Formats: sequence, structure tokens, C-alpha cells
Amino acid sequence: MRTSIEPEFFSISDTFDLPVFLRYPNTPFSFKAQPLKRELFHCYDTFDWKAWNKKTAVVICRQQLSLLDLKNGNAINSSAFRKTPRSFFPEDIAEEKTASALKTLSKLRAFIKLGSVETTTKTWHALDENQKTVAFIELRSIVPQNHKKAQNSVAVITLTPVRGYRKELEKLADCLAQNPAFTGETTYRNFYTAILDAAGLVPGSYSSKPSVTLKPEKTIQDSARKLLLSPLEVIHANEAWISKNIDTEFLHDYRVAVRRTRSILAQLKGIFPPEELSRYKRAFMELGKRTNNLRDQDVYLLQAERFRNLLPPAMREPLDPFFMDLRNRHKEELRVFSKYLRSEHYRLLLQEWQSFLDDDIPSEPDTTPNALRKTSNVAVSSIKKAWKRVIRHGRDISRVATDTELHALRIDCKKLRYLLEFYAPLFPAKALQKVVSQLKVLQDNLGVFVDLSVQQNYLYSYLSNIECAADHIPLASSLGGLVTALYNERETVRMNFHDAFDTFDRQETEDLLNELFNHYR
Amino acid sequence: MKTIALYSIKGGVGKTASAVNLAYLSSITEPPTLICDLDPQGASSFYFRIVPNKKYSSKKFLKGDTKIYNNIKGTDFDNLDLLPADFSYRNLDIELLEEKKPQKKLKNNIRELNTEYPFIFFDCPPNLTLLSESVFTASDIILVPLIPTTLSLRTFKQLLDFFKECKLDTAKIKGFFTMFERRKAMHREIVKKYSGKKRFLRQIIPYNSEVEKMGIYRAPLNAVRPNATAAIAYQELWKELINEIGQ
Repeated sequence: MRTSIEPEFFSISDTFDLPVFLRYPNTPFSFKAQPLKRELFHCYDTFDWKAWNKKTAVVICRQQLSLLDLKNGNAINSSAFRKTPRSFFPEDIAEEKTASALKTLSKLRAFIKLGSVETTTKTWHALDENQKTVAFIELRSIVPQNHKKAQNSVAVITLTPVRGYRKELEKLADCLAQNPAFTGETTYRNFYTAILDAAGLVPGSYSSKPSVTLKPEKTIQDSARKLLLSPLEVIHANEAWISKNIDTEFLHDYRVAVRRTRSILAQLKGIFPPEELSRYKRAFMELGKRTNNLRDQDVYLLQAERFRNLLPPAMREPLDPFFMDLRNRHKEELRVFSKYLRSEHYRLLLQEWQSFLDDDIPSEPDTTPNALRKTSNVAVSSIKKAWKRVIRHGRDISRVATDTELHALRIDCKKLRYLLEFYAPLFPAKALQKVVSQLKVLQDNLGVFVDLSVQQNYLYSYLSNIECAADHIPLASSLGGLVTALYNERETVRMNFHDAFDTFDRQETEDLLNELFNHYR
Repeated sequence: MKTIALYSIKGGVGKTASAVNLAYLSSITEPPTLICDLDPQGASSFYFRIVPNKKYSSKKFLKGDTKIYNNIKGTDFDNLDLLPADFSYRNLDIELLEEKKPQKKLKNNIRELNTEYPFIFFDCPPNLTLLSESVFTASDIILVPLIPTTLSLRTFKQLLDFFKECKLDTAKIKGFFTMFERRKAMHREIVKKYSGKKRFLRQIIPYNSEVEKMGIYRAPLNAVRPNATAAIAYQELWKELINEIGQ
């Protein structure tokens, strides 16, 4: 039996000829060759490498969709799958166990076909004196792609023991290891990396939050440029994918990057020349606005199932035309925005923005008085300011907590959150992480509140535009039901606001923040 | 977990051949499968070319769980494992006598294995001893291969009488005919009278020299000669059995 037994991986140099080695063995085993297998490996992952980051490979090979443990190559889950689509969602998979295993890797992001690589596998059975198979030796090589030179060819030997024959396997591994061409033990992860490399991919190469290295003693102008270049990278990485409409997170990451840019620009006073600053502030605000409707529609469509389930069964079907309409609007909106992304106006904006960030603007005391301040000083003072604003505004919120109050506090929290994230490399990670997670509790409460408000408003305006025809009555009543359900949810969230605020407004958080502030005393 | 014993008081009726082939078929349709060789002659171990570890003995077998677990070996076939028999198994009866509840020993000893194997087969030695009683308690189904002769039927009746006497569940017992030769009138008559009737499965295994050659192939017939008449018959027998279990 081969399952549930951990194989061992060894890498070998190009000069090693395993078939020849096995023909003249210095081992107590004999070897029986099996026919050569050629396999096409289709590698999948989400755009942000969620599977890879959780030490898993998602592959379709031999009409099987498998989740492989990168440590040992064992299948965590596998099911028959005849297609090799460009992308798929966990819920597209019929086999329930596979679908839920994929869901634990990614809930929102689609799995995209990253590339296909051909491999050859030659297997030998190692036989003992009774001609009993005691282990399997597999030689797997990657067939070099046309555009790649053969010099990077990678081969891996896998030794898989048969249950109850561990000692024999160790003996075999020892024999193999004596060969100088043997370059030692490796892992399935390395083999998979080589497969991805053959497909021209670098695992983990995209992250929605690229890490930035900041130095506390550098000028804030210098650091600000670095901080602004990082969301620009994210903007560029996502723009080509948005129009393909594969999943909602390309647009989401794009929007977050735009918002981060705006947030940095808003916090930095006296660092960049004011005219330029206000020009880009406006440009990025407009860019963000262009995506607002799209994002709202995305959120609706993502929650379609949840919305349906808020209603009694009989009232669910009348919602279908509403979602259909939403889908059509989304399509149209996406078309318009995709066109804009290809426009000269957009291209020039980002080009100028890039060169603005690349340029070394000399500091002038009149227009950019703060440009030469130390990064650490600016970080401490701006975080302090943003935090105090959250506390002040939060404490001012009355017992009933009005919509306007909560909306405004949400923005304050977002500003603080971004600052904590921007300047994270400058501070002790542990304390900072704790502050962020406490802030997150408050942000979640406010986020849900605002989302539910926006959704209700949208439904209201949709309702007011429905024609007064008899066949619209079921739709109108379902929408009414939905508004009521969302209203009730929102009021519960509102009631929980003060508790959420208290988890942030307390001595422990204050102590943690003071620890951050005192870091540069 | 379902446990199936291949058992007969008589020798040479096709117990091991049936155990090996049915276990192989089970490993394909209901993976993974374990076959426990309980016969000190170790015929099924021989068929799979498996030799027990040097330190393995009947004493370890009686200790159960982890001792058994560590001595299970993989066969050359995916999802089919075997617990090999050791020659010391010839003393199992005497050793069982010293145990507290010998009849329940086997059942308790394999309890841990039920998470891993949906099907476990016992290949039993040909006698009626304390070990046999332990097998009867541990098994959900007791498959009894019978050559269609009067002597075979007599031992089958002896087994049923023994079950009744010991208040064991006779419903567990399922006979089936092996080594059937159409040219023999007695075979034809007995098969006609009993096959598919109470306590008998319908499918019969015809005499086939390929079965004897399993000793040369040292592999299940269904793996190396799946089109042999006996191999096809075993496949049908397995289908019938799975059907019965399902009901």
C-alpha cells in the first residue's frame, strides 16, 4: 500500500543516469522497470498565492484535481476532474470534500491556471530476494518548455516505502546516496518550485501588501516615495486582470491601493509641492470614484445567496430579476471602466505619477518645510494624532450612535489603520500587531454597519424607480422584506458599537501605543 | 469495518485462494483492505511473497493493537495490506487458553484497525479449535468454501451444529462451492440442490488449473489472470457478497 506513507525526495545532478545506475547495482535489491509515463501538470493558485502560502499545491493532472501537501507531495484531497479551465471557484467543484478543502484555502479568490508543464515519470520496483516489492523508486523530470533552455532541467528521485519495509528503504537510500551525482535530500516543495519555474512563475510574487523597508533616520520625503511606490505596484499588477472579471478581488486590491495612495497623500503635509500634491489627490480620488459602483455591485452579487436566505422561501424567487438587472449593470460598468483603463488619460496619469515619485525634488523651505524631517518622528506624531482623533470622536458618540457619527468614525479608524500599516516596519512587530487586531474589532463593527446602510440605501433608490405595474408587486415586496431584514441587522450592529469601541478605548491599547511612541525617545 | 473469515474444518478446499482473490477485489472496490493470515502454514503470506519480521510471533499477535499494527506489511498491490502468519501461530490455541476471554480475543485485538480498513479478511487454519471460536466471534461473515461432495456437506453440517450448540449466530455462515467440475454428476447434483439456497451463496467457483498456478505467480489470480474462468467467478462472487452485505 502506498498511501499514508511519507516518501523521501532527493535531487540529482544532470549527469546522473539512474537507469544505468540501477542496471549495475551495488544494492541487495533487484529492480523492475515500469513503463514511462508522460504527464501534463496544470498548476493552479489564486492570484495572491493563497495555496502556496498555506503550503499546498493545487494541480490538475491525469484528470484528477488534487491538493498536494508541499512537504511530502501526498494528496490531501483528490477528485476526478475532466476539464482544465482557465479559472475556477471552490464552489464550481462537484465533489464536496474537495470543494470544502479549496474553500479553506480561498473563499473569494478564484483559482487561476498559472501554467502547464509536462513531466515524465519512470518508476522502478525495488525487489527483495523473494521478488517482493519493498519500495518504489520514481524518477521525475520536467520536460523543458520550448522557450526555456534545457540547462535548467530538473530531476527528482522519490523513494516511497511499502508499508512494513522501512529498513529496506533506508538501505536503498544509503546505496543511492553514495553516488556523487546525488545532491542530497530535498522536498516536494522544491520540485514544485521547479515546475513553476519551468512555467515562468515565481511563487509568492504577488501580495496585496508588498513589504516596504523603511529606515527611521531617512527623510520622510524619501520614505513617502517608497510608501507610495508600493501601492502603485499593486495598481499595475491588478489592472490587466480587472477586465477579465475572474474574481472580485482584483478590483478590491486595486481600490485598496488607490485608497492607500490617497491616504498617504492626505497625511503628508509640507512634504511634496502643494500644487502637485493637490493635483494627484484629486486624480486618485476620481480614479477611486470610477470604481465605486462596480465594487458595490460586486458586494451585492457576492452576497446574493445570503440576501435570498434572509427572506422566507416564497419571497426568494421574485428577487431574481433584481440580481439579473444587477449583473447587467455590472457588465456595463465593467466595460466602461475597462475602457478607461486602456485610455490615454489613465496611462498618462500613472506615467506622470511614476516619474513624480522617481524624481528627486529638492526641498524648499516655503513649499515643502517638512520634507527633511526624520521618518520616525513623522510616524510617531501622525499615528499619535490619528489615534487621538479616533478616541476623541469615538467618546463623543452618543448612546444612540447616529449614522453620521459612525460613518465619520469609520474614516478616522481607516486613517489610523493605514498609518499603522505604512509605518509597521519601524516599530516592534508584536505590540503593533496587537494594536492592529484591537482596532480591527472596532473596524469590523463599523464596516458592517456602513455596508448595511449603503445596501439599504441602494435598495430604497431601486424601489423608487420600479414601475407601478402589477407584475412588479412580488419584486417590490421581496425588496421591502430585504430592506427590513437588513435594517434589523444594522440595528443589532449599532447596538454592539459601544462594546466594540470599548475593546479599543482602554488602558491596554494605550499602553501598547505608548510602547510604540517611546520606541524613538 | 466488515470482517470476513474464510473458514473450513477441511483442508484443501480453496480457503487461501478465496481469501487472497476476494481481498484483492475488495482492495479495488472498497479500499483499503487487510488480510490477516492466521494459518501457521502461511500460505497467503507466501502468495504475496511476504515474510514476517523476525521478532514477530503469536505472542505479539495476542498483545494486539500496536503490536499488530507495526507488523502489517504492504503487498505489491495498492490498498492491500497483509498481516503475515508466523510459524509460532501453531501454538495460538494453547496460548489462547491462558487468556481471560479467549473467544473475544481476536475481536478486541483488531478493534483499533477499524478506522483504517473498511474490510478485513481472515485466512483461517483448517480445524475447529479455540482460535476458530475467536474467529467466529470476531467475524461478521464466515465464508465456507465447499467442494461439492457429501463429505464436505457433512463437515458443513458439523459446523452448523457447533454454532447452535455454542449459541453462536448461524446467520453469519455462508457456504459457497469451489472446484466445481461439470463432468462429475455428483458435483452437478449437489450444486443444483444447495447453491443459492439457505446459507449458500449462488455463485460457484469452477475448477481451474490457473488457481493452482497462483503458487507460481505468487499473486492473486484476479491480478495476473483476470480473464481466467475462476477469476471471473471470484469477481461475481465478490459482487454477490457485497450485495448481501449491503442488504
